[in-house]
Amino acid sequence: MPILNIQLAAQDPSGNQIPPLVALQQRGPVVQVSVSVEQNIAQQLLAQGVPLPAPARGFALIDTGATSTCIDEAAAARLDLPAIDVVTIASASHASTQQSVHPIQIEVVGLPITISAPRAIAAPLAAQGLVVLIGRDVLQHCTLFYNGPAGSFSLSV
Amino acid sequence: MTAHPGRFVVVKGERLLGAFDSMGEALAAGAAAFGLQSFLVRRLGEKQGAVNIPALTLGLLRADPQHPAGRSGS
Repeated sequence: MPILNIQLAAQDPSGNQIPPLVALQQRGPVVQVSVSVEQNIAQQLLAQGVPLPAPARGFALIDTGATSTCIDEAAAARLDLPAIDVVTIASASHASTQQSVHPIQIEVVGLPITISAPRAIAAPLAAQGLVVLIGRDVLQHCTLFYNGPAGSFSLSV
Repeated sequence: MTAHPGRFVVVKGERLLGAFDSMGEALAAGAAAFGLQSFLVRRLGEKQGAVNIPALTLGLLRADPQHPAGRSGS
């Protein structure tokens, strides 16, 4: 079972090191990821000789408050991801909007951890510096340990 | 449809591609037939669950409270 262990490190605008517990409180449990088209789809496309778009790289925030995983809508468009459903979600600026659902694969950069999220909802995440929000549909297959005092977290998949 | 509860169906327009045992099989079949075009995948008999993403709904992503939570008793 692959285990991801991260202790956050950050600097303030003056370049001073921020203690890990403050960094984790400010940034949340984030991890660098590479997002691509879901593997079953990728295999079919490769078999047809269809070139796959380059993966989208960025930060994923682990969000235990979210029922569903989300992908940044601009990244989803760049990856040319097929939509496999539509759901209605509320946002801060609109009472409710129809958002497309995409099958994606999330790889943790630098580690042999691959997470399948077959129903990731497109949402405007880029403005927050995120490419993915990892929700409870993925976390239901994981063990998450959040160590606030140490400014670290562990995720096993 | 009622003969396949729990299976995953792939639909494009008015065309039913088929019913499959897993999401992965459904996605593979959909991609084989339609490439990167959009197609619908639904699990038969499963009610669509409510989507609740407070970080988006409330605009809480990267919230920067003036009074961040501290330790209990501090």
